[in-house]
Amino acid sequence: MYKKENDMRSIKMYVFIALLVAFGITPALKAQNDLQINRVFELYGNKQGAVMVELTDEMLEGYDFSLFKSITIQNNLPAADFIRKCLQKDQIGAKKVKQVVANGIITSVYLQLPRKGKLFRLILFNESIKPSQKITLIYIESKNDSEEVLKLILKKK
Amino acid sequence: MKIRRKHIINIREADLLIEKYYDGLTSVEEERQLQKFMTQQDLPERFEADKSIFGYFDQKKHKPSFRIYPILRWVAGAAVILTAVFSLHLFMNTQPSNYACIDGKKTTDILKIKSTALASLSEISSTANEVDEGFKNINNLELMEQQLNVFSESDN
Repeated sequence: MYKKENDMRSIKMYVFIALLVAFGITPALKAQNDLQINRVFELYGNKQGAVMVELTDEMLEGYDFSLFKSITIQNNLPAADFIRKCLQKDQIGAKKVKQVVANGIITSVYLQLPRKGKLFRLILFNESIKPSQKITLIYIESKNDSEEVLKLILKKK
Repeated sequence: MKIRRKHIINIREADLLIEKYYDGLTSVEEERQLQKFMTQQDLPERFEADKSIFGYFDQKKHKPSFRIYPILRWVAGAAVILTAVFSLHLFMNTQPSNYACIDGKKTTDILKIKSTALASLSEISSTANEVDEGFKNINNLELMEQQLNVFSESDN
């Protein structure tokens, strides 16, 4: 009787652990989940004047990305400020490859984030004012070295 | 209706019943009570001999119980966890992960997605080139001359 109760208790324990793993750990497996820019995609992705793209494990004209996420937002100054704030947090521990500051405001920045497992990660941000205000934010995950990926992106025009 | 209470006899009652049992005077109910008493844990040592007799009967009565061996238990646990992770992984991967959202409208047309993705990439690369070109176009000497002229003009 006692043994049966004990077995039932351990089965319950395993089910509990499984649920904990399923709901607690698995979502964290997505490498971009720890980033603030994720909020940008969530907040502005479905808005008017925004174009958001998500591509997973697709070849994109020579680029081999595990994940490609981009958003372009037009005529939205608060969005640009929000992205800059997110980038300030995400750049902690990241390598700043390039940064353009105009009138004290960051208008362009390329960040090489620390690797997450086998994945190299990149954040690219650009804000152009002319002819109209346009923000482009890109997040890339790749198995290839992020420096190589960046070279490839900047080479193609 | 008579409710039968499950009563476990105490040591004194058990002594009396054991004596009665060996004399062949116990009823079925009394033998059942004795059996129940003998299957208890932590009985005094003097009951060992009697226990083996009643224990034998008790063993015969018991149905084989459901038992998971410790290693099997761990294997079962690991299997449950792995299944949960695997099914969640499958679930996450079956979500449409290739899409484009244009002005709030979602599309899964792969060609459109790719062209939109390339457009945003070219936005970055063209800006980078513009900046580089800008730097290249700046003639350092010319710039210095211009800056020095500012001071010479202010002197005049």
